Amino acid sequence: MTVVAVHSATEPGRAALAHAGREALRTGDHLVVVDGDPRRRAAGVEEIVDELGETARRMEEAGLTVSLGHSPLTDASDAVVQIAQQHDARLIVLGLRHRSPVGKLILGSTAQRILLEATCPVLAVKA
Amino acid sequence: MFDSALSALGSLAQPSLLLMLLIGVAAGLVMGLIPGLGGTGAVAILLPVTFGMEPEQAFALLIGALAVVHTSDTVSAVLLGAPGSASASVTMLDGYAMARKGQAKRALSLAFLSSMAGGIIGALGLTLAIPLARPLVLSFASPELFMLTVLGVSLAAVLSRGNVVKGVLCGLLGLLLGMVGTSPTTAEERFTGGSLFLGDGLSLVAVALGIFGLAEIATRVGQRRTSRDLVTLGGGWGAGIREWLTHWSQVIRGSLIGIWAGVLPGVGATAGTWLAYGQAVATAKDKRKFGKGDPRGIVGPESANNSVEAGDLIPTLLFGIPGGVPSAMLLGMLLTYGIQPGPSIVTEHLNLMYLIIWCFAIASVVGAFLCFLGTPTLAKLTKVPFAVLGPGLLVIMLLGAFQGEAQIGDLWVMILLGVIGWVLKATDSPRAPFLIGFVLAIPMERYYYLTDSLNDGLGWMARPWVIVFLAVLVGPAIWALVKWVRTRRDLAADDGHGAAAQLMHSDDEAETDGLLKNSPWSLSVAVGAVVVFGGALWASSGFSPEAALLPRLVSVVGLVVGLVLLGQELRHRRTWTRQGRAETLTVTTALRTFAIMVGFLALVMVVGYLAAVLVFVPAYLLFIARARAKTTVIYTLVLGAALLALPSLIPVDLPTGLLG
Repeated sequence: MTVVAVHSATEPGRAALAHAGREALRTGDHLVVVDGDPRRRAAGVEEIVDELGETARRMEEAGLTVSLGHSPLTDASDAVVQIAQQHDARLIVLGLRHRSPVGKLILGSTAQRILLEATCPVLAVKA
Repeated sequence: MFDSALSALGSLAQPSLLLMLLIGVAAGLVMGLIPGLGGTGAVAILLPVTFGMEPEQAFALLIGALAVVHTSDTVSAVLLGAPGSASASVTMLDGYAMARKGQAKRALSLAFLSSMAGGIIGALGLTLAIPLARPLVLSFASPELFMLTVLGVSLAAVLSRGNVVKGVLCGLLGLLLGMVGTSPTTAEERFTGGSLFLGDGLSLVAVALGIFGLAEIATRVGQRRTSRDLVTLGGGWGAGIREWLTHWSQVIRGSLIGIWAGVLPGVGATAGTWLAYGQAVATAKDKRKFGKGDPRGIVGPESANNSVEAGDLIPTLLFGIPGGVPSAMLLGMLLTYGIQPGPSIVTEHLNLMYLIIWCFAIASVVGAFLCFLGTPTLAKLTKVPFAVLGPGLLVIMLLGAFQGEAQIGDLWVMILLGVIGWVLKATDSPRAPFLIGFVLAIPMERYYYLTDSLNDGLGWMARPWVIVFLAVLVGPAIWALVKWVRTRRDLAADDGHGAAAQLMHSDDEAETDGLLKNSPWSLSVAVGAVVVFGGALWASSGFSPEAALLPRLVSVVGLVVGLVLLGQELRHRRTWTRQGRAETLTVTTALRTFAIMVGFLALVMVVGYLAAVLVFVPAYLLFIARARAKTTVIYTLVLGAALLALPSLIPVDLPTGLLG
């Protein structure tokens, strides 16, 4: 089984990655990292491993892999849900941050769409 | 309404109209296969052929081509993994994946049937739009029509892909170019420098073929051969047809999205197909197979890209605002026939409108049918590298631009605009607002003059529809501001459905766009624009007050926008990426291509068209495209024979040189 982490170079993204790493280690799952911001250059595996630090080392000892998930879909939320389905993921971990009601009205929310459309449990981490 | 619709259908029984429609469909299918031409290329190349025809025949030909361009552009996307047009790149995601699994026929039959249905539903949408919009259109007077022209240019500028400032600047440049020639209000000459040739204004075909056609050739000739192999046609047609029926709801949703994208000016087939794909993914429960051969990823976008062209015609015919580049050219053509879109078309020329609708629907069906029949043969055409097609296309395009006024000056203008079009494309400036501005410049000025002389003061601004249009005009500006504030706060990480990002695609743009973004090239675009608008402002001080009004307004706004862009470019100077080898190579190839075009045209002026072609084409094929000797000989002979036979078949003039 796998855990899918929605990562980005923001506070919520880092929180989600750290939490997903601990979760994967706890349940003995492989970790698949998806970039939540397709317009920026996605982080490489090395950067992700660096960011996970101690967790990554312990995962390696336990024989668990960290990999990047790729999707041809341009919309981040669709991409996350697709990758989770393809890996038959046990859990999706994503970060939330405060959004004003007006901000949500105008811009919509990737997190909200993942929560609504995912076909597996979703763990939302507050940053 | 039904009477006109039926009588329009009856008139299609005329063999001459039906023949034109079929020729148009055949031409459209072929042009859809050639990468980079698309609807813009199809209409621009066929437009000169229609000079001297009755409006009905001309429209049968052009609509026939326009309706099916997006049916055949799927072939190379599915079989080669290289889309024939930008809008087919969506189909490539799932279509190519399916073809590699040996199910090419399944993917193609899904695509052809969806294209057909998209065309029919688009035509239906156009039909329904007439009774809905008719009372509205009839209530419009010159103030509303003036506002609509302003709205057309500015929406195209704002909704086009990329930087809004660049879009507005391009729209203004187009408006300025459209004002070259005789002023519609005072009959004095503007921006002509005393030249008689410029007195008539620039030819629409030369501008469109230059900005889009030649620029496309210059970008793509570097591509010598297609690297990928054709996927064999596997699978059966029947399975695809049966499967297509089960996805009927995707077809309808895709088509409706396409119509909507078509109605908005500047949002073309590319954005429409991406929206349809996004919709198909978002509403699917099981997203696993998208990008790996999901039929829903083919059906929705393929329905959308055909209905976009029908949707484009709604604002074009009813309000006189072109929704996209091909319809901008159709609008220009309507105006040359003396048919004013809008009020007069729904009262006096309703027959023509229904004829257009019937042509669209029939062409969609015939096009899909021909695609089923012809795919095994047509597929081979997609393997021909662009470098080999290039010289032939160049010869045809230059010949086309010559047909309007039979002036060699048009061809020089075309090459000059080709260079400008290429620079705009490479620096990621949208070219659709440029052409829409060019077409709308004269109507805008005429309506403004009427508004100003029939109304006292600014009272016309209080007319209800004028207020509505003003609101629509201001809305996008606020949206742009919101976007700007948002990027300021760096909230881009959470952009919801991504629809806004996907909207930022204009029609018929390829991946090579924006290669020279944030480089000295884009800085020089800003500098050039400021110089042009400054020069125009200075020149317009010599005009009479009526004739100077709009040029001065456009130049002042253009100057301001140009300075804003200049500021942006200077600020981005620190992030300039060093030109890599790929960029340098592209630039040299493009510049060399334009130099060759200039050389060819100079040769034409000396020895005449036919002789110049017989020298230029083999030389180009052998030394630039590095084609085989046998190909070169056959190619040249066929092209030469065609040029020799053409004047006796259709009324075409070949440019003559000093030596005959």
